[in-house]
Amino acid sequence: MWEFISERGDLIAYNALQHANLVLQAVVVATVLAVGIAVVVDRFRFLDPIANTVSAIGLTIPSFALVGLLLPLTMIGALTAFICVVFYATLPILRNAVVGFAQVDKTLIESARGMGMSDLGVLLRVRLPLAWPVIHAGVRTSVQMSMGIAAIAAYVLGPGLGGYIFTGLSQAGGVNAVNYAVVGTVGIVLVALVADLLMLLLGRLTISKGIRA
Amino acid sequence: MADTLPAQPAADALGEDELAPKSSARVITREMVLMLTVPPVLVAAVFGAFVWWRQTADLDSVEAQQLRWSELRSLGWEHVQLTVVAALIVVAIAVPLGIMLTRGRFRAASPVVIGIANAGQAAPSVGLIVLLFLWLDGGFWTAIWALSLYGILPVLRNTIVGIQGIDPTLVEAGRGLGMTSAMTLVKVELPLAVPVIMSGVRTALVLIAGTASLACFIDAGGLGEILQTGITLFRFSLMVTGAVLIALIALLIEWLGRVLELATRPKGI
Repeated sequence: MWEFISERGDLIAYNALQHANLVLQAVVVATVLAVGIAVVVDRFRFLDPIANTVSAIGLTIPSFALVGLLLPLTMIGALTAFICVVFYATLPILRNAVVGFAQVDKTLIESARGMGMSDLGVLLRVRLPLAWPVIHAGVRTSVQMSMGIAAIAAYVLGPGLGGYIFTGLSQAGGVNAVNYAVVGTVGIVLVALVADLLMLLLGRLTISKGIRA
Repeated sequence: MADTLPAQPAADALGEDELAPKSSARVITREMVLMLTVPPVLVAAVFGAFVWWRQTADLDSVEAQQLRWSELRSLGWEHVQLTVVAALIVVAIAVPLGIMLTRGRFRAASPVVIGIANAGQAAPSVGLIVLLFLWLDGGFWTAIWALSLYGILPVLRNTIVGIQGIDPTLVEAGRGLGMTSAMTLVKVELPLAVPVIMSGVRTALVLIAGTASLACFIDAGGLGEILQTGITLFRFSLMVTGAVLIALIALLIEWLGRVLELATRPKGI
């Protein structure tokens, strides 16, 4: 096992970075998308249950099925993996962002308006910072979930550590099959752990001091 | 995909219930109504469209062979069997284990178990399946072990959280009425914890139904097989058929989970 890892150390590290990179990019795009949609939902409150229903239905669809639906459109490769991860990453953030915006005290928005802030100013300087702890929790969930989805997306040659799992599967019976599968699986768990710690740190840095629990 | 979907929503729902039972009740109900009505309609519509396409499409011999109705039926049945058997095993193991972890001297272990349950959710489902395959060889029961192992976490966690979240004065009141510890468990604690436990069961059902689509990798069948064949042969018709059927079954099972959740909710909660 150790021999296997030390021989391929550089490549494994590279794939771990690729895995983290795919998830990072997808979650960033997903956050922007989800917050954008949530702003619209917050403007038209009747959309609220619809957004939650879409989010719940979306999360029910297995990622392997989405991969299959995307393939005819985006073909085998990293693009399919990326879109797939973005889709699932968006849903928990959307859910939390809708709740987060709804929880913002209306009187605070009123007073911000009274101070002469524009709509954009209110959004960026009042509503977003106040909703951020809830949104951040959604992003954290999203990151964890995306790690596993990126692994499945590796079946259609998405980047990252998932490829090792499928190499292990295809070499079943071979000497290195278990090594490959263990490196892929444990590697993803480790990347997810590190990412979760970084997310905690991000929370400490970005959640406004005044509302920190 | 929810094949790696963390059991977060369950915990969230619990938080909302605790915080603002009255004000949020209406919103939750409207969403519940939507979730109970939209998926069956969606499933029926998409399945109808699929049947129409299957009957009218011009398929070549390979596709026609793969998409025979008898074949689709047996793969779908395998998929349902995988999901239901794994879910039953999960409930049979996770609920008693969760109860045990809230009693007496085992109580100290419960935060550790909840921590492991949360961390375990980050383990990729496909990795778990492949590792068990390499260890135990392929087939139905290997897939069942992998699916059960994966589904245990949310049910175990929600059982512990559900029982621990009960107002201790209610248990106290039960004891005051002369109930034994076992009686308070059966008559007070379990009924009050049922909604939280059942939401964990629904999360587990969704995870299991999604992960069952990966069972084809280890020769355990299921609808993933059509999709896998489609990707291998690069036939769009097979890919989309496999994907659509997997998604429809997952939606139906989630819906059944919701109905079950509603049906088991004790009156008065």
